[in-house]
Amino acid sequence: MRNRDLMSRALVLAILTIALAVSPGCTGNSGASAEAAEGWTPARTPDGQPDLQGMWTNYTATPFEVFDESDTPGLYSGDPDGSARGTGPGFLTDTTDRTLTKGRSLVVDPPSGRVPIMAWAEERRNFKLTHIQDDWENHTPWERCITRGVPGGLFPAGYGSGYQILQGPGYVSIVYEMIHEARVIPLDGRPHIGKGIRTWNGDSRGRWEGDTLVVDITNYNDKGSIATNVATQRVRAIPQSEELHVVERFTRVDENTINYEATIEDPKVFTTPWKVAIPLHREPDYQIFEYACHEGNLGLPNTLSAGRARDKAAASGTR
Amino acid sequence: MQSWLKGATIALASAAIALAGARLMQDPAAGQTSGADVLRTADGRPNLNGIWQAVGTAHWNLQDHQARTGPVLELGATFAIPAGLSVVEGNDIPYQAWAAAKQRENYDNWLARDPEVKCYLPGLPRATYMPYPFQILQTGSSDILMAYEYASASRVIKMGKTEPPPVDTWMGQSVGRWEGDTLVVDVTGFNDQTWFDRAGNFHSEALHVVERFTPAGPDRIDYRATIEDPKVFTRPWTIRMPLYRRHDENVQLLEFKCVEFVEEMMYGHLRKKTGNEKSFGTARLRWP
Repeated sequence: MRNRDLMSRALVLAILTIALAVSPGCTGNSGASAEAAEGWTPARTPDGQPDLQGMWTNYTATPFEVFDESDTPGLYSGDPDGSARGTGPGFLTDTTDRTLTKGRSLVVDPPSGRVPIMAWAEERRNFKLTHIQDDWENHTPWERCITRGVPGGLFPAGYGSGYQILQGPGYVSIVYEMIHEARVIPLDGRPHIGKGIRTWNGDSRGRWEGDTLVVDITNYNDKGSIATNVATQRVRAIPQSEELHVVERFTRVDENTINYEATIEDPKVFTTPWKVAIPLHREPDYQIFEYACHEGNLGLPNTLSAGRARDKAAASGTR
Repeated sequence: MQSWLKGATIALASAAIALAGARLMQDPAAGQTSGADVLRTADGRPNLNGIWQAVGTAHWNLQDHQARTGPVLELGATFAIPAGLSVVEGNDIPYQAWAAAKQRENYDNWLARDPEVKCYLPGLPRATYMPYPFQILQTGSSDILMAYEYASASRVIKMGKTEPPPVDTWMGQSVGRWEGDTLVVDVTGFNDQTWFDRAGNFHSEALHVVERFTPAGPDRIDYRATIEDPKVFTRPWTIRMPLYRRHDENVQLLEFKCVEFVEEMMYGHLRKKTGNEKSFGTARLRWP
């Protein structure tokens, strides 16, 4: 009985929602929802938010950037023969049973599809990626099992790409499978936390612009990386500064798709702001598994101990 | 009967009834319906949305414990361990003999063995009463999120029936249901790696936890967890404590990504020497 009761409530709500959406003078559908499929409007949660809830994945075959002849994919990926060259994460098996979207690049602005990285930041990345055996601080925060970051956590990873969105009164939460993040984003218009508090994932403040969830993120520390995964190619391990400012936009354009966009601005690292766009696909049967990363992190100590073994061999002249 | 005696009898009887009534109101198991001042969602369920925190010292030791010096001499009073009353009903944890011995060994080797020292996921019920806030997000659908500040841990509680947990995990699999105004969460599928506190209380992978969240007014949840593990204990046992709503202005979960704080401890011996190593002073361990 309870289920039936809930269903009838849901039905009433759905009818109300449709009625509101088509009534003239309704101002709730301006802005980015123009991108939504014609005649389609997301349902509403009990507290009136456009409903983004459910299980989503972001598998794709679209490369992060447009490839350039100057790129050195082997360096970015730690893959000496460079087989990851110019591809997305398709080399990982978790994508094989999915129909993948394939476009030119996930970087949609600037139109070149290339991230405007300052030279010093590329040099810093090169140093870090060629010295991962020396120090854990040369690894990306993902390999250290700290975080894949924001927005980096929504860039393709190739596996473990489940995201559950939950909404309650005044909040949207995104549960990331990878490194078990649960971002809880307040929608009540409160100010950002004080500048003295710097964080790996930044401080998120959300608001609805029509049917688009817009999240403003500040208060980053300067220890993270904008992108951590091999699938992000040249941008992997690029540092971020405390001036990093990210604006994310989530627009549900049909039952099965959320268009996700992130505009990234960091005047110390990038010459201009740039933008990534990637669709999230509804996958109701996807099951998020616990990603206890740090608890099982053998890769990091093994990499370091290999480095120390190498040092020892070099010192004793056996190599 | 003399009138003074009659009066005294009536007074005593009234007091007894009043006490019984008060007890009934306090005991979440006795009445499934909470007081009238419980916040409710649109569909009439208790509204547990908010940021909550346990205030006691159960994270140090579930059982009675006296104040104790901290492990590092130089930290003096600042990191000494406060006293606390038991949150275990009856105070005794019914360990099997071998397990009681192992718990004492864990207690004596706290820093070497406690998974919290390494910033590992806390498991349950420990996540609930660690000295960090956690947020409950009740959704319009059925799932309920509990996000913990400690180590970015979280769990999504599935309401209603679900498949058995496919693998053992640190946080287990949480399945919820409402019994009146009480949110009952059945948690299974644990590994044997987590502890219950900093006193070495532990379990096996056969752990089964049943938690009960009963609102007692708008700002308090009475929390109980019944712990069952036939490989370690002789019978199920229960802890109980209040959880309080955080009312601080603009309160929010902040970031406590403690992996960064344990890397030197865990991997420091593997770092390439540069000659610029940080000195760590001469702190002395009193124990363990």
